Amino acid sequence: MNDEKNMECVIEARGLTKVFRDFWGRPKVRAVNGINLDVRRGEIFGLLGPNGSGKSTTIKMILGLLHPTSGQLSVLGESPRSVSVKTRIGFMPEESYLYKYLTADEILNFYANLYGMSGPHKIERVNALIEQVGLSKARDRRIGEFSKGMARRIGLAQALLNDPDLILLDEPTSGLDPIACREVKDLLLALARQGKTILICSHHLSDMQDICSRVAILLQGEVCATGSVQELLATPDTLKLTLQAPSQTTLTAVLDLLERDTGTRPQVDHTGRTLESVYIEKVSQKKSASS
Amino acid sequence: MNHPQKSLMRIAALAGLTLRDAVRSRLLISLGAILVIGLIGLPLLISGDNTLTGRLQVILNYTLRFAITMLSIVTLWTACGGVSSEIQDRRLYLVLTKPVHRHELWLGKWLGIVALNALLLTLTGLIIGVMTWHTLLTSPESATAKRQAREQFLLARQALLPESPISRDQALSSAGALVKSGRAPAGMDAVQVATELMKELKNARFVIAPTGTVRFVYHLSTPCTGFHDGILNYKIESSRPERNPIHAIWDIQAAGGMALHLTVTNYPGLPNRLLIPGSVMQGAPSLTLSYHRLDRSSPATLFMAQNGQEPELLIPSGSWAMNLSRGLFMILCRLAFLSALGLTAGCLLSTPVAVFVAFFVMVLLTMSGYVESVATSGAFYTPHEGAALSQTWLDKIILGQFKGLNRVTQPLLRLDPVPLLEEGRRISWLLTAHAVAWLVGLYTAVTALIGILLFNRRELG
Ligand SMILES: Nc1ncnc2c1ncn2[C@@H]1O[C@H](COP(=O)(O)OP(=O)(O)OP(=O)(O)O)[C@@H](O)[C@H]1O
Ligand SMILES: [Mg+2]
Repeated sequence: MNDEKNMECVIEARGLTKVFRDFWGRPKVRAVNGINLDVRRGEIFGLLGPNGSGKSTTIKMILGLLHPTSGQLSVLGESPRSVSVKTRIGFMPEESYLYKYLTADEILNFYANLYGMSGPHKIERVNALIEQVGLSKARDRRIGEFSKGMARRIGLAQALLNDPDLILLDEPTSGLDPIACREVKDLLLALARQGKTILICSHHLSDMQDICSRVAILLQGEVCATGSVQELLATPDTLKLTLQAPSQTTLTAVLDLLERDTGTRPQVDHTGRTLESVYIEKVSQKKSASS
Repeated sequence: MNHPQKSLMRIAALAGLTLRDAVRSRLLISLGAILVIGLIGLPLLISGDNTLTGRLQVILNYTLRFAITMLSIVTLWTACGGVSSEIQDRRLYLVLTKPVHRHELWLGKWLGIVALNALLLTLTGLIIGVMTWHTLLTSPESATAKRQAREQFLLARQALLPESPISRDQALSSAGALVKSGRAPAGMDAVQVATELMKELKNARFVIAPTGTVRFVYHLSTPCTGFHDGILNYKIESSRPERNPIHAIWDIQAAGGMALHLTVTNYPGLPNRLLIPGSVMQGAPSLTLSYHRLDRSSPATLFMAQNGQEPELLIPSGSWAMNLSRGLFMILCRLAFLSALGLTAGCLLSTPVAVFVAFFVMVLLTMSGYVESVATSGAFYTPHEGAALSQTWLDKIILGQFKGLNRVTQPLLRLDPVPLLEEGRRISWLLTAHAVAWLVGLYTAVTALIGILLFNRRELG
């Protein structure tokens, strides 16, 4: 616990509040209400919550697009409104707000220019990212023709262009097929291992459970639970055993033994396969067969 | 981090994006097509009086105005509609999560739109050039008519005013003598007397007594080559209501050179053109033009009047193509200002409001002529002769606003190259520089400053 405190805070929010006002300046919605957040270097932090709970609003404040009504917010040690801090941030929005007349290649080049990248370094980076998000075949097609998932992939690629220290992702896996989803999750884990800090907003709980080291759950603009995933999931006095099915007599003997020890009879289930594991198995078989 | 070079790169990337968006969305192509159709079609529709000069006038006047109107609308549309819709559908929001300053965004967009305008204006210039030459070459009219038309339209002419009948020094010395001898009005010093004196003498030259002669001396600062004619535009007004023809002789005398006598018949109130052959003016440092009335029997007093100005001598000065280019460049400056207006509106307001505001401003700007007349005459319409001007308090308030507005729109009116191009007048480099200084250096800069300052505070979520 002590060394966690010493870890560098990449995002630090204290009493962060955002009130949306109407035309006349009267408060309309309290989208974020006095939240405290600490996101530390190298962790994958999940921001969970139902629709309209203030996740996107929080991210937009971190990006300096919205200005907090009150409270403090520092990002990578700077004010989120400073332009220089943006060279170290990558952001993938919840929808793809892209110029649909540009091709995948052109749009990445455009954003790379905004980062001040040039020369062979830029070309290499763009090529690598297009490869990484699996759009090599579509790189000369216009974004306007892209499917939702393809546009999401471009959204991810542009977020990684500047090799950012802090990556913010709003619903990164929405619209992606399960394999792409898996790939994105693996990619994020790999990035975290390289020391990047990642903040994800989502209500895809299983995805978040897979990759997040810590989460905060937002409800109506307030944090109602926060902590590491293991902590939150652990129920200290229940255990789950997974084993090769033994013979019926052994099983009954073991169950009797356990019942005598704990006073309740343990529950026995077959571990079924998830649809995800079946899907991934089938599609990868087909893919490897065809290539 | 904040290298100016990187900043320029970002501005260039944003400008390129704006331009590319226009090209890809077929805006550029459709506009180009409309321009081509409009520029070629208008002269066919409005055939004028079907003479060669009439057709050329249509090409230079209507088509140029058509192109300007089209480009103004498109500029406002792309500037203000473009940006506000980019804000609305959140494309800008992703751009602003990159290390882009708001002023870079503003400048990049502005440059992109100006580049778009520059492309389309170049196209306009080419079309006008080609059409003018085509009309001249294929015209069935006589060679002299063609030559005359070419002289009138395809040449940039500089306007010269006659030299003052007495120099300022002369006026000052006579004024000094008058003051000393006590014959000057009380309370006026020598300088005031001299100014009045010069004004009187200048006005006296408009008057042609029944037996009179008026004489004008023009200094040709750069001697003429002799290839092209000079033009004197003048009008004769009569003190009598009857409109009898006036017979007169123009005496044209080049300093140290040829003299020419031309007999003319003028009608009061109608414009006249006196063509002064290039061969007469060739190499001469100055030119003296005298108007002798012949019909001394008529008692009417005549006035040499050219809108209250002394008659201007238009002498050839520079090529038409260069003049047109300078004119188009001035138009580009005006469009640059319009795109700044549109961008600022688009950055601050939502789409429909921004478009409405921008077009309202454009209408105000196109009305600058009316605004000027109201501001100077103090009346919203020309009153009947003799009718007293009555003003309510509302009139006074609106009039005050018109006067304020006139201050702002005056430079726009003064820097409008179309009337000059239409009359074949030279657009000087100085005037072009003025357009850059006023329209870009001042108007655009102020609009940009306001836009960027307010845009910096705007939340985009
Ligand atoms: N620009 C805005 N103006 C007014 N209200 C807004 C604005 N943006 C968000 N809100 C309100 O703020 C609240 C939080 O919205 P937010 O987009 O942060 O939710 P979210 O957690 O991202 O939801 P979702 O899961 O649906 O994406 C909502 O009630 C929303 O209506
Ligand atoms: Mg959201």
